[in-house]
Amino acid sequence: MQVRKTNYLVNATPTLQVLTEDEIEAIYFSALRVLSETGVRVYEPEGVELAYSHGAIVENADEKSSLVKIPSWMVDRARATLPHRVTVVGPPDRNGKRNYVMDLFKNQIYYGTGSDTPFTLDPYTGERRRATYKDVKNFAKLAQALPNIDFFMSLGITQDTAVGTYDRWQYLAMLEGTNKPINITAVDIEGLKDQLEMAYIRLGGKTEWKKGPAFSLYIEPVSPLSHSEEVVQKLLFCCDNDIPFVYTPCPLAGATAPCTLAGTAVQALTESLFGIVLSQLRKPGAQVIIGGLMSNMDMKTSVYCYGSPEMALLSAAYTDITKWLGVPEYETAGCSDTKLFDEQALMEATFNITTAGLIGGNMIHDVGYIEQGLTSCPEMLVASNEIIDRVKRILRGIPVTDDTVALDVMDEVGPGGHYLAHDHTYNRFKTEIWRPTLTDRRDYNDWTKAGSKTYQERVHERMIELLEADVEPLMDEAMFKELHRICELADERHKDEELDVQMFV
Amino acid sequence: MSRIFERISTAVLEGDDEESASLVHKALDKGETAADILNEGLLVGMSEVGVRFKAGDMFVPEVLMSADAMQAGMRILRPLLVAGGVKLIGKVMLGTVEGDLHDIGKNLVGMMCEGVGFEVIDIGFDVSPADFVAAVKEHQPDIVGMSAMLTTTMRAMGHTIKALTEAGLRDKVKVIVGGAPVDAAFAKKIEADGYGSNAPAGSDLAKELVGAA
Repeated sequence: MQVRKTNYLVNATPTLQVLTEDEIEAIYFSALRVLSETGVRVYEPEGVELAYSHGAIVENADEKSSLVKIPSWMVDRARATLPHRVTVVGPPDRNGKRNYVMDLFKNQIYYGTGSDTPFTLDPYTGERRRATYKDVKNFAKLAQALPNIDFFMSLGITQDTAVGTYDRWQYLAMLEGTNKPINITAVDIEGLKDQLEMAYIRLGGKTEWKKGPAFSLYIEPVSPLSHSEEVVQKLLFCCDNDIPFVYTPCPLAGATAPCTLAGTAVQALTESLFGIVLSQLRKPGAQVIIGGLMSNMDMKTSVYCYGSPEMALLSAAYTDITKWLGVPEYETAGCSDTKLFDEQALMEATFNITTAGLIGGNMIHDVGYIEQGLTSCPEMLVASNEIIDRVKRILRGIPVTDDTVALDVMDEVGPGGHYLAHDHTYNRFKTEIWRPTLTDRRDYNDWTKAGSKTYQERVHERMIELLEADVEPLMDEAMFKELHRICELADERHKDEELDVQMFV
Repeated sequence: MSRIFERISTAVLEGDDEESASLVHKALDKGETAADILNEGLLVGMSEVGVRFKAGDMFVPEVLMSADAMQAGMRILRPLLVAGGVKLIGKVMLGTVEGDLHDIGKNLVGMMCEGVGFEVIDIGFDVSPADFVAAVKEHQPDIVGMSAMLTTTMRAMGHTIKALTEAGLRDKVKVIVGGAPVDAAFAKKIEADGYGSNAPAGSDLAKELVGAA
């Protein structure tokens, strides 16, 4: 083969970078200073003891908590055993095949939904109301059908089930709707144990779990610099049971973190580094994914902004940091501060989905969120699927090769000809040119003939179509009953708790 | 309006706590009464802050600076007002409920309440129903405000109200609730006296409940 080209660099994907390596290091070493000089408050004695017995300094203990200071060498040691790659694999289909793999490592993107909104917009009436079991199942069904949704989180808290045991019911609703990887939430350790038991049943045993855990757990330390009892217990349980977990604080620039975005990034990293240290002390190799969920407070309304440019920018900067650290990241996109599915929803989702894709955040969650994460919106999920599709086209970049510059084709067609009927077009148009599914490109006459529908209307119709589609149940009746039984037993154990059952609806 | 009152209200509006404290001293030296300084100086400034905030011309950090300036004046006036038998707007006691460490919303409500003239007792976060009861006994507030950030900890609001009832304190205080997952329907369900969707709504509600709105 004749070779002529040398020193030729390609850009297989467009790239985005927010921070330089020097800036990343400045943030990282600042976080180490916060961790060793300011310290973090820990509300769980076992966690405090674990850190203390391995070299941490413990001060200012009160009856509930201690201030824990982690020397930097402990972070170095933790990083030596911290996995660079974390994998979550969805449960099997009816043929026993586990089709959906979320393989998280540097520059891999997976988009998924957000979790546990108290409210949802009714798919038929658009009414804002408390979310129920049925809603969670519906959202899971939508996520299952949408090719660009790679993992699922419960777009709604099941609030027609008991509050103290809602997590098991919520997991069951998710399993009914999807066999994609799931990021769960848990009320407490007991709830986590029950869900793990359910996952073992769904997978067909603990060995299958070891081959690929079917869920990760969402754990959220409280900013600034606080790690609650429940949070630390969950972390320890995950380490002991090979459950990957997302350790993500949600610092709010200007309120629960410094107003400056660099300061917020330092604080968030400090909070996550504590989780990393504790996890690697408990079990070297414990699988951690760190967040990626940080934004600014809107200083007029005092809300946590989910659609702000600062959120997209901070999340992207954090991705740069996690790539450098070599730890999988939890990114945030597909979310908005709007109250319904409108122009703002699409503008904000487009912005943060694009930024997250370009930067290469790993586990990009919160697709389908509106109203600062308080409400889930089915149309937002369906529209975001198409927005992600657009972004993925951009991410495929423009390969520049002898074939793609098409000199011979141009020579053949020559001035005044056309390319429409050329083999070069025929063979490449499907991959080279993105085709929309919901975006309208018809001419005016055809568009009016088809009912003059807006994008919102088309998305809504598609959403209803997906919701009402006949699909095979993902598991058989016997397995469903077995899982249902675990939820019932949990309810039985908690039946004496007041105000718990159907607190909301 | 006297020139000194105007300067006090301006100091509040500008969030200058040193200036407001020194002007309050100066006004007292000139023989103005504590009640007049409060009503015609500090509160006039805060009321303008409220107007500008609602119009979007002032922002949360600025409002909190003004509340600070108001408090700087109040610290001087409070003993005099109490000694003079002047009835203050009221006392608000705030806490984040059991199991919940999220306290930014509660802190904001506290600062807003101070800004409109309430005495605010902050009993912290992760406060058990029993501790709420004990604190009500100790501080005897007009209003108890509870905050929760999670649906799981929202339950504790109901538990706390129940504990107040069992302790025979429920009719001695007004109970208000707030926090991201809370709404008016839930507040009604647990028989709270009111719900505030954000910090200014919380302080407005508190004023309404003590008849000062």
